[in-house]
Amino acid sequence: MLRVSELVNEDASLVSRRCWSDPGVYELEKRGVFGRSWLFLGHESQIRNPGDFVQAYMCETPVILARGEGGRVHASVNSCTHRGLPVCRADHGNTRRFVCPYHNWSYTVEGDLVTIPQESEVRNKPDKSRLGLKRVPRVESWRGLIFGCFDEAVEPLEQYLGDMRFYLDALLDRFPGGIEFMGAPHRWVLDANWKLPVENQLGDVNHGAFLHSAIIPREAQDTIEELGHSVVTRPGHGATFRLMPGDAPVDEVAWGLEGMGGIFGGAEVQDYLRDIQARARERVGDLRARMKGLTYGIYPNLSFLWSNTSFKVSHPRGPGKVEYWSWAVVPAEAPDPIKQILRTNYSSFFGPGGMLEQEDSEAWVQQFRGSNIDFADDRPYFYGLGLGEEGPHPELPGLVSVTANEFYARHFFARWRDDLQAVEGLS
Amino acid sequence: MSGQSLKVKPRQQRALERFYFHEARLLDNRQYQQWLELVDEDIRYIMPSRTNLMVDNRERGKEQMISVERELEGSESMGCPLREEGYVHLMVRVERAFKINAWSENPPARTRRIVGNIELMNRDGNQMQLLSNFHLYYARPGGGNFIYSGQRRDTLLLVAHDFRIRRREVIMDYANIDVPTLGLIL
Repeated sequence: MLRVSELVNEDASLVSRRCWSDPGVYELEKRGVFGRSWLFLGHESQIRNPGDFVQAYMCETPVILARGEGGRVHASVNSCTHRGLPVCRADHGNTRRFVCPYHNWSYTVEGDLVTIPQESEVRNKPDKSRLGLKRVPRVESWRGLIFGCFDEAVEPLEQYLGDMRFYLDALLDRFPGGIEFMGAPHRWVLDANWKLPVENQLGDVNHGAFLHSAIIPREAQDTIEELGHSVVTRPGHGATFRLMPGDAPVDEVAWGLEGMGGIFGGAEVQDYLRDIQARARERVGDLRARMKGLTYGIYPNLSFLWSNTSFKVSHPRGPGKVEYWSWAVVPAEAPDPIKQILRTNYSSFFGPGGMLEQEDSEAWVQQFRGSNIDFADDRPYFYGLGLGEEGPHPELPGLVSVTANEFYARHFFARWRDDLQAVEGLS
Repeated sequence: MSGQSLKVKPRQQRALERFYFHEARLLDNRQYQQWLELVDEDIRYIMPSRTNLMVDNRERGKEQMISVERELEGSESMGCPLREEGYVHLMVRVERAFKINAWSENPPARTRRIVGNIELMNRDGNQMQLLSNFHLYYARPGGGNFIYSGQRRDTLLLVAHDFRIRRREVIMDYANIDVPTLGLIL
């Protein structure tokens, strides 16, 4: 087996093909990355009432995220303590009990075992208080975004997110009522490694003019390169955005107006979006009101697209398979007809039917094939574009550079390497 | 649309089949520009997403309990359909297909579709509601081979003895989406 130090070099400008394809590396990722990081589980808008639940995954581990009778949020592993079957088979819903189909052991939405139907026929009664669903030991939320972690000793979520909160708030706090997730996630299963979709939406706006040249006009890409900033607040967390000039017309700055729903959705939705922008300055300040985001990434596997408002989670299913989830996200306070138009800002270009992402997904699949070939291990992938050219900025927290600088990916892989080394040799 | 289809004369059924088979041939032959001519400019092209819901105890024993409709997040829902498109979306998709840099279809996928179970469900003036099913074989060079299966719920307009597609809702049969794209014209 390869040593982790052989996978990613010191400055992370060279990344081995085996990072993407080796089953042993994947096992280290499970423990080193997914076992120790805050992982996105869902949004408060999905579970508003007691008994509401949605399914989530922490790597390959299925999790039920539910609001308990007392209003608290609980996350339990979706696997019966008796024989391991999932006790919840629906994407989302509202219930009082989760019942295992095999022998009908039943659990509360908080995960406590309440009924063993066979119990009355035996003399030694099992201690049900010790047989509840496995709890996710740490669950915390920020601005409605709920995360869980299997490591009890993990730092608090707010600290983990750090300065990413500054950039997330540029959007989340723009809307007085925050955001809302619409419906069940689109689950797309691709023969790709989970890290490439993450990298793609952590800061790789540089492929737009090339992979997507059939759809994205060159002028749009020129604006991105001219006004674009790439930021890393902490290795693995990053954002890209355009910082629009102070005198830019509202229609060029406003969130949502450049999507298909914004362009073709009619005057009502456009006026709604202009109105949000008109209040942006007082809500998020002058600097962030001028921000027109592109991509966001939260380590290890949460992504967020600004213009095509979508949250995405890249769930690994082995080194060569990913279950890629995406949701349309809209302002919670918008009237229903406006939400229905704004969700097409996502679905027109992204998701399994999207015009842009059909190109991305093919790139991700082909990259996995390239990572799995023999006789090319002396050609690790080159991640050196813009090496060392990032630096501090007078107004923007984190390290800042042009969007062509691949420092967002180098920082991701440096953190990933450290995470794997922390568990390498332990077992 | 759970009732029986309308009784139609063989000649009328044949005219509808002729339209759908012609459409299928255009699409499999990648003659998308000619296909676009079959589309009304006010078209709505919808692909609901399909969810896995809990069984509602109060509905046990009733057809509603396991109906297809309750699984769908369509255009009227507050969920998120996979596609909700108008003429402009379809036009961009067609234009893309004839550009040299539509990378995921370069070289293009080979497709073959069988359209069947064509039922005329309702007619109102020059508008007709139809159901049809399809199976589509999709082979992407460097990718793999995939089967697409679904139902189409169409509204056709009768225009000068020919048909135009005014609305199409594509109900895909999937659990997880394990095909390379749902961006095809189905």
